[in-house]
Amino acid sequence: MGKRDKLGWTGVGILLIAGAAQAQDDSAASSRADADSGSGWFRGLDVTFGGFVRAEAAVKTDDQQNANNQRGNPFDRISVARQAYVPPYAAGVLGIPPTGLTWTSIPVSNVPGAITGSDSVQRPIDPSNNAFNWHVLRAEGELGVKLTNDLKFIARVRALGDFGHYGNFDGSSLGGINGGITGGDPALYGGAPNYFDYRVDGSKRPNPLEWGGRNYMVDFPTLVLDYNHGPLNVRVGNQAIAWGQAIFFRVLDVVDGLDLRRHSVLDYAQEEFSDKRVPALGARIGYQVTDDILADAYVQKFQPTVYGNPNTQYNVIPVQFTVHDRYSDGGYDKWDKLSAGLRLKANFGQWGFQAIGVRRYNPDGAIRWSASGVNKDLPSTTSGNAANGLGVVVNAANGGHAGPFLAQTPFEASPGGVYSAAEWFHYAGLVRLDGIGALNAAVNDFAPATAKVFASPAANYAEAYNELNSFFIAAGGSLRGHIEREYFQETVLGAGVSYVTEGEPGSMLDQLIINLEASYVPERVYTSPTLGKDFLRENASVGALVVEKNYRFSQSFPATYLVFQYMFRTHDDLFGRSLRGYGATDTYSPGATTGTPGVHHANYLAFALQQPFPQDIYRIGLAVLADPRGGILVQPGLQYKPSGHWAIDGFYTYISDRLGGNPNNNVMGGMGFGNEFSLRVAYQF
Amino acid sequence: MRIRKYDIDYSRRLFLSRTVQGAFATGVLAPLWPLIAKGDTSKAYPDEITSVEMYTKGKVKTGDVLTADNVDAVKDLLDPITFRQVKEMGRRIKIAPTVQDPTLLFPPAFLEATLRNKGKAKLDADGNIVEAASGNPWLGGLPFAEAQSGLEAVANLTLSWGRHDYSQYPMRQWDIGPDGKLAYQYDFAWVELQVQSRIDNTVFRGKKDLLRLFSLWFTSPQDVAGTSFLTNWYYDQRKFPDLYGYLPAFRRVRQFPTNQRFEPLLPGITWFLSDAWGAGDPMLTWGNYKVVGRQPMLGAVSQNWNGSKPGWQMGAHGGPKGQTFWDTNFSMCPECIVVETEPTGYPRAPVGKKRLWIDVRNQQLVAYNSFDRRGEIWKSVELGCSRMQDGNAAVKDPKGNYEWTWTHFHIHDIQSNRMSRILHAPSLAGGHKSQFSDNGVDVYNKYLTNQAITRLGQA
Repeated sequence: MGKRDKLGWTGVGILLIAGAAQAQDDSAASSRADADSGSGWFRGLDVTFGGFVRAEAAVKTDDQQNANNQRGNPFDRISVARQAYVPPYAAGVLGIPPTGLTWTSIPVSNVPGAITGSDSVQRPIDPSNNAFNWHVLRAEGELGVKLTNDLKFIARVRALGDFGHYGNFDGSSLGGINGGITGGDPALYGGAPNYFDYRVDGSKRPNPLEWGGRNYMVDFPTLVLDYNHGPLNVRVGNQAIAWGQAIFFRVLDVVDGLDLRRHSVLDYAQEEFSDKRVPALGARIGYQVTDDILADAYVQKFQPTVYGNPNTQYNVIPVQFTVHDRYSDGGYDKWDKLSAGLRLKANFGQWGFQAIGVRRYNPDGAIRWSASGVNKDLPSTTSGNAANGLGVVVNAANGGHAGPFLAQTPFEASPGGVYSAAEWFHYAGLVRLDGIGALNAAVNDFAPATAKVFASPAANYAEAYNELNSFFIAAGGSLRGHIEREYFQETVLGAGVSYVTEGEPGSMLDQLIINLEASYVPERVYTSPTLGKDFLRENASVGALVVEKNYRFSQSFPATYLVFQYMFRTHDDLFGRSLRGYGATDTYSPGATTGTPGVHHANYLAFALQQPFPQDIYRIGLAVLADPRGGILVQPGLQYKPSGHWAIDGFYTYISDRLGGNPNNNVMGGMGFGNEFSLRVAYQF
Repeated sequence: MRIRKYDIDYSRRLFLSRTVQGAFATGVLAPLWPLIAKGDTSKAYPDEITSVEMYTKGKVKTGDVLTADNVDAVKDLLDPITFRQVKEMGRRIKIAPTVQDPTLLFPPAFLEATLRNKGKAKLDADGNIVEAASGNPWLGGLPFAEAQSGLEAVANLTLSWGRHDYSQYPMRQWDIGPDGKLAYQYDFAWVELQVQSRIDNTVFRGKKDLLRLFSLWFTSPQDVAGTSFLTNWYYDQRKFPDLYGYLPAFRRVRQFPTNQRFEPLLPGITWFLSDAWGAGDPMLTWGNYKVVGRQPMLGAVSQNWNGSKPGWQMGAHGGPKGQTFWDTNFSMCPECIVVETEPTGYPRAPVGKKRLWIDVRNQQLVAYNSFDRRGEIWKSVELGCSRMQDGNAAVKDPKGNYEWTWTHFHIHDIQSNRMSRILHAPSLAGGHKSQFSDNGVDVYNKYLTNQAITRLGQA
């Protein structure tokens, strides 16, 4: 705990520099300095400091690995047959009549020593068998300095170190195959996983108050000057802002993106997003307009949602992709890219109202294919050291070097990418993309370079399947895809109303807190399921109904906190992905022309409870999130607070995405690797 | 030499008679309140109930320390849990001189208002406290200086908790486990702003529907720092207060059910919101008020402020590890009303009833026991009070009079044998100081709005 003393500026400096924590004052007979001590310039300065150190671990409870990582790929060391076909665009080169030629017309035969037309490929990466999903040591400290009666300085620092007890993938292990992974930031793609370093193209430190490396990060989630005078409150600096009454379901909580590097969204659900919101430099101004009405406005530098880095435990972007985040080189980190908003909140006895208007950059951004920029020719041998005649022909057709043209396409002929059409379609479904449409968008959006390497639009699933396998063979094994993340401004309008019921005292219907929130975003920009250059634009609405109740089931135990929530979304899922990408499967009929049927609307149900034991030393919790289309997350937990210094939390997360058939139809699809038991042991000072 | 006409049995018989007859006169030798107005209550009661030495026939004298060896002599002067603390748990209590000067028992301004407005209050048809002549909300001071019922006695506790128009208490709490070890330690600030029934006879910001605004926020340890609660108490004592909370995990103010007043706020804390001042809930949300007795008591009503010590720190002793109890001074309270009441508005409350011992001299709580639904004794709340004068150290009001306030609490859950002992400290981390006036600061916006508790939640 923090201990209070009067300190001069020198003392403050020492405290800041040394990060000194003062031991908890346990002694009943101990004294605390009186507020009136101190003198001169330093009179009236109060300093507080407190913090904690916490070991956190999550142990896997089944053998599912994160499929988004190289060593969690279900195709690792699995043989998959591939058959190449003569590209329609290559007809002229090969002297074949082009009329009627498609990707299903002429299979390429194997010519020993010259051409590999068909083969059986394995991803050359060993599957992992991780016991741990998460294994870090965290320390946080908070410093408060009361400068005047109205002005306060608040700093909260957060530091994490990862012990890294995982079966890691190392990008350099593929260096012997066609030059290894070439594109992308080597710090993210070239070696061992980079657990915490937040990097975007053009900037190694896109969050100005964060410092990170492969195994550590330090940041200031809060670093503000807080001024309060009368009804006015101004807070300037780095800060996160939470709006809305609904918990976990983010309807009006739209100010900040989320940072998913720290245990993703699989921390203790009851803590909501307290550790996840991305802080941003800005100003928050609150004004108590009347006794019942509060105005709350902010303006802040735009900071995007931060996803886990490639091959880290909770990475959500398959590592066959190389991501080019345009936050910096697209100019989104400049000070003229601001987000701003206003909330009005009113309470009138049993009734509460709120309304928001926000003009912001959507922190999630949107993704599309991007030119790889990797000038690397197709190899002359396949990954099995067989002759790669297809690659040689493509190179030859381009003056001996296909590399310059490949660089203008979204692809890179490197290992660690997609090795087979089967893998392509499996992953397209997993990340809610259209496997056929994505191929065609890559071809069409990057013409004529794609035509130079004989890529052409596929009319249906069969053609796409054959074309993909043809290029994977020609690439010597696999192709890596390059995508870019862009950000778009949007307007969020929202409103909420809450009501506290009055019923028979002690009854279940008494003191129910009912909260209804809704938001509307015109022309919200989404990633297209094809990853095409033209992003989707939809008028998106989100609504949530929340019913909370504290109810005493017994005289011996404190009241149980119960909350039921329902969320309705018109165009996207809980993670902001377009619903048009839902429902893909691994295979289709040969004539199928689209890879995603999509779904209309998303509905989610959540239930949570907290049951403290007497004296609240033990507290059990349960959180359930259900997608009626077949996904569920169940998280029971126990919090134990044996003393003021120590706190121990344990919780088990169970995720199933297969309660309703196709896992790509529900929000949990692909998250099954998150089945784990988490334990956190904290010591606070 | 005084003729012992009024021996202890006389007073006991008189108190019993008054209880049975429902007669609520105070004082044995003379009516109490005229003597309070004159500043000396010594002629109100016989020595046999103002002198602990006389009461115990010399077994315990002023200046003595109660221990397990002599506490049997004053068993009837202590609530059952306090007696057990001394008898079985090593608690020691020093006997202080009996207070005869009533100004030692009140904040000066509150006593003035009480005397000024004495006899002007009544309970209206709804049971709320009003000025009898106008039917308007109460004027300030004790509404029922000579309480005529259990409800009136509790009204005195409820209407103005801290007996100032504005009170700001830095509070430090040590929670002792059954093994006698320190389990938790919390620092928190507690602010009461009287909206009506103010000593200055104004209505704060014209809020005629409210009685008080009250907020409470924890400043340490780190994992709970910023946890804040804000309550708007309605003047109508039938209505539950609005309750808002800021929980650091949620980073926003949320509305809470108003009837959750019997829950532990944080791990290891033995008290509930309902326990505040022995009258933590609107009085008409409780019912079945009964005066079940009158008796002398020993209570921590004076000489408990350690203003000359850093942090106003009190020593601790007793229990398995020598730190379960504050070092306290008790003195004779010649006449206490014993009131019982039940939480009729909270059918699912774990409390079955509470018993309050209220000193008739200042209508303040001396002791408070709660009972569970089975009728088993559960908790005791001991309130320590004092004039704020300790040697050369003193806190005075703007007129130069010594202030009066609470100094400590013992809240003992005897069923789990956990103790929360709370100290009224001069200040807390973050600069929150003990004060009994807003000192010209806009405390409403600083501490008592939704925005305020958001800000107090810090990061």
